[in-house]
Amino acid sequence: MNVRLKTLGGLGAAFLILLGAANGRADGVSEMAAFSVFGKVDPAQLAQSDVKVMRSPTMNSPRLVSVQSCYVTPRSPAQEMAVMRDWNPAKHRELKIFLHSDLPGSPGPNDFVALRKAPDNSSIGDLVSKTQKLSPDLQISQEEAKKLSTANAAGGGAMPGGVASFWMNLLAGRARAFATGGSAAEASYNHTGQNIRANDELNALLREQGKVRGQFANFLGGTGIGRGTGSSKPEMYWELLDVDGDGVLTLGAAYRRGSGNGPYQSADVLYYASGGYYVALTLFQMWPVNVGGRPSTLVWRGDFISSEQLASLHGVERLASESAMMKDITKAVTLYRRDTSSAR
Amino acid sequence: MNFLTRPLCLLAIGFAPAVVFAGDESKEVIPPESPVTETQPAFRISAEYNVEQTYVGDAEVRREGVSRTFDESDTVVDFVFTPRVSFGVLRLGLGYEHFSFGFDNGWPLPSTLQAANLVIGLDTELFNTILVRIEAQPGFYGAGTSDLEMDDLNVPFIIGGTYIYSSDLQFVLGVGVDVNRQYPVVPGGGIRWRFASQWVLNAVVPTPRLEYEWNRSLTVFAGATIKDQTYRMSERFGRLGGQPDLNRAVLDYSEVRVGLGFDWKINNWLTLSAEGGYVPYRQFDYHRTEVRYHNVHGAPYGTVALHGAF
Repeated sequence: MNVRLKTLGGLGAAFLILLGAANGRADGVSEMAAFSVFGKVDPAQLAQSDVKVMRSPTMNSPRLVSVQSCYVTPRSPAQEMAVMRDWNPAKHRELKIFLHSDLPGSPGPNDFVALRKAPDNSSIGDLVSKTQKLSPDLQISQEEAKKLSTANAAGGGAMPGGVASFWMNLLAGRARAFATGGSAAEASYNHTGQNIRANDELNALLREQGKVRGQFANFLGGTGIGRGTGSSKPEMYWELLDVDGDGVLTLGAAYRRGSGNGPYQSADVLYYASGGYYVALTLFQMWPVNVGGRPSTLVWRGDFISSEQLASLHGVERLASESAMMKDITKAVTLYRRDTSSAR
Repeated sequence: MNFLTRPLCLLAIGFAPAVVFAGDESKEVIPPESPVTETQPAFRISAEYNVEQTYVGDAEVRREGVSRTFDESDTVVDFVFTPRVSFGVLRLGLGYEHFSFGFDNGWPLPSTLQAANLVIGLDTELFNTILVRIEAQPGFYGAGTSDLEMDDLNVPFIIGGTYIYSSDLQFVLGVGVDVNRQYPVVPGGGIRWRFASQWVLNAVVPTPRLEYEWNRSLTVFAGATIKDQTYRMSERFGRLGGQPDLNRAVLDYSEVRVGLGFDWKINNWLTLSAEGGYVPYRQFDYHRTEVRYHNVHGAPYGTVALHGAF
């Protein structure tokens, strides 16, 4: 009798555990279904498959595009967040990130000194050439343009000293502006002849994705994304990368929120780019799920980009552009999952 | 810190000119209590168009020792709506092409060839990486007279796919089907490869090109244009020259142009193109009656076009 009671008790406990796991799973899956383009997904099936990628609803502005993706990783959300922070995409050449460096809270020109050792390739050559000519393609302000001395910008090497100094000062100034005043403090790209402001672009991206904005509103309200500086401290960085064959210098900031085994949210914003795109925003939401008795994480990711080049694409070209974006996301997430498959 | 690399390859098949867009007026911070609703996309007409005029100088074709010398005028007008739907992009529009050949005495070659057709098609996607185009061009494809008749009806169509290997490299493969052609199914395709920041090998038939993007507004290119279309002769066409088997005969007209040119993006929806070069090959082929006029010598040509999409 005693043995039987213990067995029943054990079964009851097991049932409760399973119920809890099922509830936890249902919460994340249901929540994701409520605000994303994905319906109800099966985490167990998703854990065994490639990342799932879909277009977001079409946006009104022709220069905006968005893609959403989801996948499952075999660790808790807290572990997932830590692994994600440590992963270095720059080691994958196919991702075309030439330089990546973290920044302190109040960056100075010397924090960009790696720029002097930029690789010698056609993308960087294109950036240097455009800088030396003060090309209207450069996304800088008129005030910043005045600081470029063409005489000093001349010189040899992959990144001539004058060109490197110009960008080091410009990037430092813009990074400090973001640290103290969020994206609202960023100067416009008015050297291009257009009064494009990163802050407006970020707000437009979010405004056109109402459900996503609703899901992340509280979190984003504490950041400097689409507003003045928030209560959350950004983790800032800069990169030199390739966008459609052109070298592009970009400034980014990341925020994250969450604790314990609860849901996590994070946001990664590129609030400045020297060309190629105006802004880019990547949002993540992570929920704990139980897959085969193993603590796992259901990850939703939303990628949002504003670019003048997108506005010129119509019909099948637009379709192709979105397909290429989905392919790039699939590639990046696949590399990430492969690199971190054994991490805990 | 960089969480995950972002997709920043925008596959800019054509670079945008510097155009002022309507600015986003809101400078508001994100209100935490924002309503959870999706913005409805505004209705927007989307279309592409092309108006093109080509002149080819005096050239010569020959059959069984008989030569014909002529010049050519080719006018093309296309307008296609491209509305976005949940499963892709529809293609619904009209097309018109008119060849005028300046023969002194051209028979049995027609002095005009003309096509007036609908465009009914779909661009859609498979597996996120393959774009598929299915497009029929039902219409009147006539020759010999200025009129288009019911018997000129034909429905040529194409089925093709583009595999997006990456934003720099795509492979295109497809077939064009025309039941009136000697070989009804003709394969086509090619490769589009951005092999340097300003260089694109856009080697896709029927307009393979090597392109150099001079700047955001100007692209120069060297390439070719291959034309091949069938036309139905009129009811009395053969009788005019005492060869009744050419009544209602199908003429397969083909032409190859090789030249240099440029595309100048005047704004986001208007591009001016001009090219010039040589027409090294053309053929008039009544393949069902085995009456063929082969190219003897070509001629220079010039083309001006206005085209774009919005």
